[in-house]
Amino acid sequence: MSILIDENTRLIVQGITGREGTFHTEQMLAYGTKVVAGVTPGKGGQTVFGVPVFNTVKEAIEATDANASVIFVPAKYTAAGVYEAMDAGLKLILTIAEHVPVHDMMGVYHIAKKKGCRVIGPNSFGVISPGKAKSGFMAHKIFTKGSVGIMSRSATNCYETVFMMSNKGIGQSTCVGNGGDMIPGSTFVDLLPLFEADPETKAIVIIGEIGGSEEELAAEYIKEYVKKPVVALIAGKNAPKGRSMGHAGAIVSADGTGSAESKEKKLRDAGVHIADSTANIVEILEKIL
Amino acid sequence: MDLMEYKAKELFDKYEIPTQKGIVIEDVSDLASKALNLTFPLVAKAQVQIGGRGKAGGIKFASNTDELLEVSKSILGMDIKGHIVKKLLIVEKAEVSKELYLSIMLDRLSKKPMIIFSSEGGVDIEEVARLTPEKVMKVSIDPLIGIKDYIIRYLISKSGLNNSLYEQMFDIVKKLYTLFCEYDCMLTEINPLVITAENKILALDGKVSIDDNALSRQPDILEFRDSLTEDELVLEARKFNFLYIPCEVDGNIAVMSNGSGMIMSCIDLISKQGMKVGVGFDLGGGATAERIAEAVRIVLSNKNIKALFITIFGGITRCDEVATGIKMAMEKHEEDKLLVVRVEGTNKEKGLEIINSIKGQIISVDNIREGVSVLAARRELK
Repeated sequence: MSILIDENTRLIVQGITGREGTFHTEQMLAYGTKVVAGVTPGKGGQTVFGVPVFNTVKEAIEATDANASVIFVPAKYTAAGVYEAMDAGLKLILTIAEHVPVHDMMGVYHIAKKKGCRVIGPNSFGVISPGKAKSGFMAHKIFTKGSVGIMSRSATNCYETVFMMSNKGIGQSTCVGNGGDMIPGSTFVDLLPLFEADPETKAIVIIGEIGGSEEELAAEYIKEYVKKPVVALIAGKNAPKGRSMGHAGAIVSADGTGSAESKEKKLRDAGVHIADSTANIVEILEKIL
Repeated sequence: MDLMEYKAKELFDKYEIPTQKGIVIEDVSDLASKALNLTFPLVAKAQVQIGGRGKAGGIKFASNTDELLEVSKSILGMDIKGHIVKKLLIVEKAEVSKELYLSIMLDRLSKKPMIIFSSEGGVDIEEVARLTPEKVMKVSIDPLIGIKDYIIRYLISKSGLNNSLYEQMFDIVKKLYTLFCEYDCMLTEINPLVITAENKILALDGKVSIDDNALSRQPDILEFRDSLTEDELVLEARKFNFLYIPCEVDGNIAVMSNGSGMIMSCIDLISKQGMKVGVGFDLGGGATAERIAEAVRIVLSNKNIKALFITIFGGITRCDEVATGIKMAMEKHEEDKLLVVRVEGTNKEKGLEIINSIKGQIISVDNIREGVSVLAARRELK
């Protein structure tokens, strides 16, 4: 097992004829991912590395029975791409682009919840289940098959951790790039149940950051429902404080929610192992596995 | 991107949210022509991108032309916490009978817009929220439904305001929400929102913050951002699509990487060793040698920076490309500053070979911790 994607995933690449889309389609195919279709409006009938291209997601699904999509289009078209994929009936949609306007994601998030769709990203490297399939742009060579499930808001911190893990012989079941944006399609809490239920996953790593309350919510969920060991890193303790002019932020986060201290405390109370660096995540994993 | 009050007022005016009549001047010589149609008494307010201007003397009253000239002279050019006042907003003084607070912000928890409203607004709103949280109401807006009349009824009923204010409140909240949506706002705040002696509701001061990721579809805001006098190196970096992040004012170490997550974890490790980071520098993905060379040049041109820690995890970015860029910058500028370089990923060996051929103070390390140890061993960086 693993979560979200595996050898049975039949993937569509939206934006397949673009520079990034084409490059990463080749990479994903080389990794063994079943990329069954591509979509670029106006380019239907072409092929990219043998993958048939369609004008719309609906046509791509009708012809190939695809069950997931990864969107490699620029930020300003990302929301439109997600809506098309959701409307065509897909239940797993991965978004890659950086700089997607947060108001766009606000719409996507609430409609996806209503439709029961799982959206990952944006500002995400995608998802990889090592040895089975990858969907996104991660440098797959550093990942190895194993039993640690990882969720990360940061691509670079995740790479760093995975690289050190693989060097120590600790493999991964699935790595998810939740993405660094203010409104991600899926949060830690959305994915924790999947890792908890996955028989292949023996431990879970959460790579979080200051800001927002996803880590606090994850802590509440873990305390109640997660039996597997969890290791967490909160990056950004010493990051420069954002200039905030209004009072609204202070009113809303008057309880300190969002700070590294608040996140670490709540996670620790839930029995989570707190790492102080990416290297420390690996040291903790070595001990508990 | 935070907007200054005058810019927020422009947006309020555009959406016909009632504000006080006013003008913006950059020089006292503008007063004669611009202030003609204003009725005294007036309020002159410094336009700076930082809070606490009132306490710093950046807000003053004038009851006649002479006083106006005098206060304008005293505020323009004033230094408020390192921000020089270049613009002055002059508005008619309102007869206030009650101060309210109203904002709409994007709430990260519910992932919805949230109205925050209090019938006890003004400068002490944060105190009110802390001491009497029941006086500050928070109402979530379902983005798929928008502002409906029941939301306003709730705000008025719950806060105990007079029902005669319903029409005006509905109008203002609705317009503020339209502005919030159309301008990709993270926050639109009116504080104080006042009830005047004539029972009119007016926005006396406003803050608007706009999503940086949406600036490409907000051309007028993009223009405003570029008109601000910012750190020259921030602007220089922006030209190349890099993100230059000023950190501690007295920091002497710069951290450069291809992702903000790694920059944050490096800053955490360096700070833990008692050192201070002055600059974080995000290259983004896919940097070429030429771009790396520009990035290194920009960071090292900051005179306070004594050491630069470059840490790259190259998936698609190639290590030899990074190394070549560093070499180009070092040979061209001959800066006598310490460079600690950590490259990992594609073509690492080739990259290391190039780094070892660079003359000057350059040390290559194998991982982040080792890099931080090298920095910590330098007494001049503590």
